[in-house]
Amino acid sequence: MTRLLYVQGVPIWRNVVALRWAVQVVSAVVVLSTIALFLLNVAREIEARDIPFGFSFLGRAAQIPIGEAVIPYDPSDSYLYGLIVAGINTIRASVLGVILATAIGILVGVARLSPNWLLSRIALFYIEVFRNIPLIVQLLFWLTIVLTLPKVAEGYVVADTVYINNSGIYLPWFEAQNGFWPWALITAIGAALAVYAFRRLSRREIETGQPSYPLLAATVIAVGLSLVALLILGPLAIDIPQIEGRFGRLQGGAQLSGSFMALLVGLVVYTSAFIAEIVRAGIQSVGKGQTEAARSVGLSGMLTLRHVTFPQALRVIIPPLISQFLNLTKNSSLAAAIGYPDLVSVANTMTQIAPAISLFMIVMVSYLSMSLLYSLIGNLYNRMIRFKGA
Amino acid sequence: MTARVAAPLPPATTIGPVGWLRKNLFSSPSNSVVTVVMAILLAWIVVNLGAWVVVQADWTVIVSRVPLYIVGLYPYEAYWRLTICLLLISVLLGMTWRAWPDTARRFSYGFGAIMLFVGVFPHEMAPVHRALLLLNLPAIGLGYMLTPRAGESGPGLLEAIAGGALSSMLDRAAVRLATAWCSVVRALLPSLYGVAFRLATAWCRAVAALSRMLDRVAIPLATALRRPARALAPALDRAAIFSTPRRMLTAVVVALVVTMILILGIDGVPGLDPVAPQDVGGLLINLLLAFFGIVCSLPIGIGLALGRRSSLPVVKVACVIFIEVIRGVPLITLLFMSRHILPLTLPEDLNVDRVYLAGITITLFSSAYMAENVRGGMAAVHPGQAEAASALGLRGWQTTLLINLPQGLRNIIPAIVGQFISLFKDTSLVYFIGMLDLVEMGRVSVQGNQEFIDNGREVYLFIALVFWVFCFSMSFISRRIEGNLGVGRR
Repeated sequence: MTRLLYVQGVPIWRNVVALRWAVQVVSAVVVLSTIALFLLNVAREIEARDIPFGFSFLGRAAQIPIGEAVIPYDPSDSYLYGLIVAGINTIRASVLGVILATAIGILVGVARLSPNWLLSRIALFYIEVFRNIPLIVQLLFWLTIVLTLPKVAEGYVVADTVYINNSGIYLPWFEAQNGFWPWALITAIGAALAVYAFRRLSRREIETGQPSYPLLAATVIAVGLSLVALLILGPLAIDIPQIEGRFGRLQGGAQLSGSFMALLVGLVVYTSAFIAEIVRAGIQSVGKGQTEAARSVGLSGMLTLRHVTFPQALRVIIPPLISQFLNLTKNSSLAAAIGYPDLVSVANTMTQIAPAISLFMIVMVSYLSMSLLYSLIGNLYNRMIRFKGA
Repeated sequence: MTARVAAPLPPATTIGPVGWLRKNLFSSPSNSVVTVVMAILLAWIVVNLGAWVVVQADWTVIVSRVPLYIVGLYPYEAYWRLTICLLLISVLLGMTWRAWPDTARRFSYGFGAIMLFVGVFPHEMAPVHRALLLLNLPAIGLGYMLTPRAGESGPGLLEAIAGGALSSMLDRAAVRLATAWCSVVRALLPSLYGVAFRLATAWCRAVAALSRMLDRVAIPLATALRRPARALAPALDRAAIFSTPRRMLTAVVVALVVTMILILGIDGVPGLDPVAPQDVGGLLINLLLAFFGIVCSLPIGIGLALGRRSSLPVVKVACVIFIEVIRGVPLITLLFMSRHILPLTLPEDLNVDRVYLAGITITLFSSAYMAENVRGGMAAVHPGQAEAASALGLRGWQTTLLINLPQGLRNIIPAIVGQFISLFKDTSLVYFIGMLDLVEMGRVSVQGNQEFIDNGREVYLFIALVFWVFCFSMSFISRRIEGNLGVGRR
């Protein structure tokens, strides 16, 4: 009888294939039964307490105000539209934050490596202070700073165009006129030409070893073409904010609300401290021998930086940089604490009258798709920079 | 016989403080501009900030409510239990100081200084609590005494004093000052070289005379001190009961269990009335959540990482989904989930306080990130290691646990500690589910009191400072551990 438990002379409890199957089946049963238990409990609670569930609420009027919206929004609009407005707010904060944090992070990271002792120490201080304080504390701090600014009527006015006060910052902004689309088309063509010129000149630089200033040429082509078209077509008018009406409200221009400013400053300062460390590590990771070899084959300092140091440093910098971008996007959800209507904050307000489970499923799926997008970009980049022939 | 010629000194502008300044701050015109601009900016910030901190800021909002920030609504009658916990921690700190002198010494100094400051600072505090706080200083000493000296560490504190370290320190300082003086004068006024040299010689001679005088006092004193120290040594050795790693570990575990019992209390024991979890607040709840999370998230993270590296498809897929879903969403949404939805998934009769729900959520969140760190570290271990292990006859799980995992973990010490730091920072988010942690206490202080409505800056600076001290200490320790394990050197 026990013979049955032997496969080719090996008992079944020592057979690798059988053991692997057993482990898989056991773990599958454990995972599935845990999930099933949770789902059953939720289903029972939904039934017992009559908790609303489902997605039919999305079409109904949301009836909640959203403090600031990039696209027009009214409380009578649907839940779905409200969530989209909030999502755009999240994207607006993240995109601006990513751009500014990268710029400041690179500056601080390079300053950290400066031969100037004072500059490098100040950069170190910046990094160590801001990355070791929780973001939420920084946000609350910046919010108090913004709130201590004077009122609209007594606020700071820079050159009669920029208004800074406790309701935010008002900047002059562009307004599209008649010739906008032709101008945009010409600018796009200029950009394409510039990319072509950059590639062409870069290749010549690598082949001949003579500097041919590709970045300069590309910038001149793109900016020049765009500027000429701008002067001829006149597609943009500038909209300057002005104090209007009896209540002294500011109208026109681009408006950055106080909580948005606090969120942006907090996110940028916090993330740039991390990015600075990434940039520093990336530049330091390029071996000294690389620079020396480049100099010994006759490349100038600038060419060495552009063709030897920087491409290799980028290989180390980009993957953690992308994960910092993702972190910044997720951290923008702390906006809920300082009253900026981002996705999480609006969804949380909606839970008072709409099913919480469905709302949070929507929020989680949105963030998951954003993080998928980021990892897609990261993977594409990794494929691009993989060592050829390796 | 070759005549010996003294090597000429390097130019005055390349050595000493002047040389240092020229090399690091004024090496080129553009560098000088940067230095000047930065110095002016720095001075402006320091002066303004200093003036604000000392003159303008009103710190009553902090000083009058210290217990709220530190322990939240913890009942006043039970404060003594917390101070006992502090004493236990002090003993452990002293133990660490003795076993690992170069790193823990600074922490002991810092901790002692804070205890001394809080214990002596004039504010409202019961004398008993003051006394218990000040007792921490001897408690550190007790831990120090109870631990034998680690093999090859430098001389202990007593030995250092007895060895006349003071006078040698003075000598060194005097010589350095004299060198600096020489180089400054030589660089600035070459024509006055002779005068300066004579001045420096006189200065050296004066310092030497001073240090001889000090020696005359210090040497007899040192001898006198050394005798009782030597006599005491055997007794001290016998008292050092934390002599093996196992005993140390036992001490740590016992201290932690006692701490937990003291903080939460036991039903029915007089003097140890249980404290409701929601009354534990302020910094205490941040520290407890972080500690719980740190202790649990590393093993869970290692388990998830091993699962993700497993060749069994079911295990692998389950781990990948868990890790990626958790990493893809912000912690706040998970905390909201744990408040609104997690209670629904539990059986009806199981009533879990939200403190525990928050702890579990933060731990799971952190362990997903930890899993990715561990996986990265294990991937960086050279495949030759595993091949060598299997050539020696180790089995699959032995190779993983004894070869790949330890080396992988050593690779990622900074990442692990970085994760601990962000876990500690993340505990500040629990206020989204209505817990009164340090940040929420600050917010309540500002927004809930008409008198403090304008003191937001003071409150948030104080909170930032508290968090910063903990996070910076952790990253400091991480650098030391890395150094001790020789990462990047073998």
